[in-house]
Amino acid sequence: MNMPLYRQMLAINLKMFMNYAVGSAFYILLMFWIYPGIAKNSGSLNSLIDAMPEGVGKAFGLENGFGSIGAFISGEYYGLLYLLILSIFCILVSTQLIAKLVDQGSMAYLLSAPTTRTKVALTQAAVLLSGLVLICAVTTLAGFAGYAWFIGDLADFDGTGFVLLNAGALLLFFCIGGISYLISACCNDEKRALTLSGVITIGFFSLNLIGKISGQLSWMRHISVFSLFDPGEIVGKTANWPLSVAVLAGLGAAAFAAGMIIFRKRSLPL
Amino acid sequence: MLSVEHVTKIFPNGRGIRDVTFSVRRGEVFGFLGPNGAGKSTTIRHIMGFLKPDQGSVKVCGHDTWKEQGRFQKYIGYLPGEIAFIEGMTGKAFLDFMAGMQGGVDSAWRDELIRRLQFDVRTPIRKMSKGMKQKVGIVAAFMHRPEVIILDEPTSGLDPLMQKVFIELVLEEKARGTTFLMSSHNFPEIERTCDRAAIIKDGVIIAVKDIHELQSMQRKLFEVTFESEQEVNDFMKCGLKIDSREGSRVRVAVQGDVDRFIRETARFHVRNIDVFTQNLEDIFMNYYDREGQTP
Ligand SMILES: Nc1ncnc2c1ncn2[C@@H]1O[C@H](COP(=O)(O)OP(=O)(O)OP(=O)(O)O)[C@@H](O)[C@H]1O
Ligand SMILES: [Mg+2]
Repeated sequence: MNMPLYRQMLAINLKMFMNYAVGSAFYILLMFWIYPGIAKNSGSLNSLIDAMPEGVGKAFGLENGFGSIGAFISGEYYGLLYLLILSIFCILVSTQLIAKLVDQGSMAYLLSAPTTRTKVALTQAAVLLSGLVLICAVTTLAGFAGYAWFIGDLADFDGTGFVLLNAGALLLFFCIGGISYLISACCNDEKRALTLSGVITIGFFSLNLIGKISGQLSWMRHISVFSLFDPGEIVGKTANWPLSVAVLAGLGAAAFAAGMIIFRKRSLPL
Repeated sequence: MLSVEHVTKIFPNGRGIRDVTFSVRRGEVFGFLGPNGAGKSTTIRHIMGFLKPDQGSVKVCGHDTWKEQGRFQKYIGYLPGEIAFIEGMTGKAFLDFMAGMQGGVDSAWRDELIRRLQFDVRTPIRKMSKGMKQKVGIVAAFMHRPEVIILDEPTSGLDPLMQKVFIELVLEEKARGTTFLMSSHNFPEIERTCDRAAIIKDGVIIAVKDIHELQSMQRKLFEVTFESEQEVNDFMKCGLKIDSREGSRVRVAVQGDVDRFIRETARFHVRNIDVFTQNLEDIFMNYYDREGQTP
């Protein structure tokens, strides 16, 4: 780690990190706010879902129905929108932190100072992860606040389930962020890095979605890291949470390490 | 202090540098001359450890700049040929940041540099002119008083006044014992500061010369107007190389031996003298042609 670099990068990016965090918090509060209204009509909504083909409901995280706030949040926010927000965050920020600096040339200044490439790469990874943790923490806190505010007594809330849900999402994006970071560390061209990590992340996401919708194509899920984070199963307590999280953590750590090693070893056109 | 040993790097497109070897002694100012695309920046990028040499190595203060990243930078100040700063900073924020990365600098010295180069550090970098950015880059290269300063085309974008300030800075630091390597297209700038210079063309070093030797290679054309044509006739018998003649005006080609030219000319009545200096490109061509002829 290089502290001056870390501080500078946070100074530049903190506002953007906060925008993501506040946006996400705002959205989750909105979900808690509209839930009571939806719960009243949950009977009819549930029958609507039952009428849909099974795969479609599952794909959009509706299999737990609208009966409980946990099911509602896990399906409606953690099943889709939150994943998109964090995917975009990981892709953009990881590209900005390495590939962009190499492409435009300012990396030359970082490397001309008395530090090593490994330290620079480690610092940039720490900046990405700081942003990710910030967004996830703010979202989690907003979730608790939203429950207390709009639903009722926190004592009735499945807090552990909600924390596991958020921790699962964090680790999923530790992994996705790691993959984007690896690509960013390999690319000399910012646009290429952005396109590649975008295609890979959206690809994984779609594989998971298709696998869920179609029974025949369910094998597709298993090559996607998104299958290791199933909000419905986590809230419904049917997921093997420790295993999924361990795999995500392992994959993510390997991707970050590979990114650092490649960045250390390659010629940079600065 | 700094040695480049048999560095070869061929890019996929076939361009690159071949077997580049030279060394710079402590306290020396070393010029690096060559036409566009010759490989100056490529060599400097190897010195900075950005590019991995296909063959050979670069050592700064005994540290291999590719294998021992992190060890040698504390001795170096660097001005990139194509400066790019981190976006969204002012000049001051950038210099503060780099000072932090360097582990602290003498702020009095930094302020003096800023004052002498005359620019407003509070301007956001993206609003700076090319010359202003160049000045920020120069301050960043000098401010931590490194032992070796590597400058890739330092005066590009600077106006003549600032070029002069820059040359003074280099000479002052040289007097303090700082070692310099600077690439340039500008012969007068190299002439005024450097002790030695290397000439590179098409990725190959074609000469490493003492600056006086380079100066003597530089051909000058003196256009002398005499009082009368008779004097011209007598003058032309002296054996100096006459380029052309037009009435009482002759053009004399002088390479190196200025003293003899002065003595021969002084014997006559001279109305006017003009001098035309051969540009750097022509010196390269001269040198290159001569190298080509000797097998
Ligand atoms: N990363 C790269 N990939 C492919 N070719 C390259 C790369 N970097 C440089 N080159 C080529 O190598 C040659 C030498 O380039 P270099 O930038 O070293 O020239 P230079 O002497 O600094 O020129 P200038 O005076 O224009 O700055 C050029 O032909 C350039 O196109
Ligand atoms: Mg160059």
